[in-house]
Amino acid sequence: MSDGTPHLKLSSGLTIGYQEPLAKTEDSITLDPGTHFLIARNGRGKTTLLRTIARSLKQLGGSVEAHGRLQYVPEDLRFDEEIPVASIFKAMIPAGRLSAAKELAERIELDCKKSYGKLSTGNRRKTSLIVAEYSLDPTVSNILLLDEPFSGLDAHARAAFENIWKLSADKTLRLVSCHPDYDSMAMPSALLIQDGTIQHTRDNAQTWSQLKSQLN
Amino acid sequence: MRLFKLTLSTIFRRKSWAICVLLVLVFPFILPHLSSGTENPTLFEPALAQAAWGMAWLSTIFWGFFAAAKAGETNARSGLGEYFQTTGVSASRQLLQIWAAVMTFVAPLGLGAALVCILAASPSLPDERSMWIATNLQYALLFALVVAPLAALAIAVASRFSSLTGFLISAGLSIYGLYGVGYMKMLLSIESSPLMTWLWSVSPHYHFADPTERLRYKLGAIDASQFPLLLAYFLGILLLYIAISRLLFQTKARA
Repeated sequence: MSDGTPHLKLSSGLTIGYQEPLAKTEDSITLDPGTHFLIARNGRGKTTLLRTIARSLKQLGGSVEAHGRLQYVPEDLRFDEEIPVASIFKAMIPAGRLSAAKELAERIELDCKKSYGKLSTGNRRKTSLIVAEYSLDPTVSNILLLDEPFSGLDAHARAAFENIWKLSADKTLRLVSCHPDYDSMAMPSALLIQDGTIQHTRDNAQTWSQLKSQLN
Repeated sequence: MRLFKLTLSTIFRRKSWAICVLLVLVFPFILPHLSSGTENPTLFEPALAQAAWGMAWLSTIFWGFFAAAKAGETNARSGLGEYFQTTGVSASRQLLQIWAAVMTFVAPLGLGAALVCILAASPSLPDERSMWIATNLQYALLFALVVAPLAALAIAVASRFSSLTGFLISAGLSIYGLYGVGYMKMLLSIESSPLMTWLWSVSPHYHFADPTERLRYKLGAIDASQFPLLLAYFLGILLLYIAISRLLFQTKARA
């Protein structure tokens, strides 16, 4: 299941929601390796879609096919207040990738000696993201679902993660929900939820500035 | 085993386990001096044994089950349970990993009490000493068998309701099984009632796993013909509680 390249297929008629439908696909959508953004206004179903793909929530109709080792990082993922970042990494990241994770932490100014409870929102987000990125298994294909990974993150840290995403784009499919804070952010592949419909839009020149005008 | 390592590390970092180690390994040497144990030298060793096992139970009930409940609640409410589930760690495996981490701290408390008794309170006569060692080891095993399912129950109940509920249910059950059942029998001897008799018979008789009376009066090890029956009894409770725990355990709090 997780050999080869990762891909996600959302069938046509995939309906997401809790008791009531929130959004649905009109045509089937296939996502290939690389980074795909998931954008919509608040309450339109971004988290619901990610949780449905992660099989944490049942779809109301249609189906989701995921080929790859899944990881869903909820927006509110948090660790115990007392535990230092270094101990979180030691417990969560394979030994062989631990030093690389710590190097990245140092680069983006995350103090691994600090206890999790003393970190700012942005630094907590960096912790979750590093755990997720370095928990990817490089020997298999991976699907990483990230819910609002950029909220609270500074531009320097965001650029560091975007760079990592570029370097591992062939083996990893990332679906990232976000509200970018700069208009020129490139979004060559994006899932849009608008008017209760989930659409896939692809264009190498596409930016957040163009896409956000379509959201309602 | 990432959840096991994370839970283990979290409990270790909270440091309250150190108080339990102190209670089990140091307090038994202090408490007899505060009691009548020092007035008669022959009473000192039984008093030490009683204190060691008393501290092991006390630590487990008030710290171990609380730590278990806290771990269960945190897993469900912090998004970690959902995260692990999406990576393929099923609810059963999550319960098992959290439980194993908690038991890594709790099970040695019984073993610590047994070691204190064996190393510091063994009778001088060789026959009595070997009997004393056997008794303590038997009860270390029974201790682990009793606390293991209660820890799982605390984790599971807390994951569904709250850490306070999880803690109170496991602590309440263990206190009732250790002491309450005995009071119930006393009441039954005064006034018989079919309902009370039934309630008494289905109650968890954890007092069978409490060695203090046996050590205090040097009654010797549990008879070889009786011990397997006790093991089977506690294994039965373990299976029942594990099944209930699995049914109750949830990896994410309800929205």
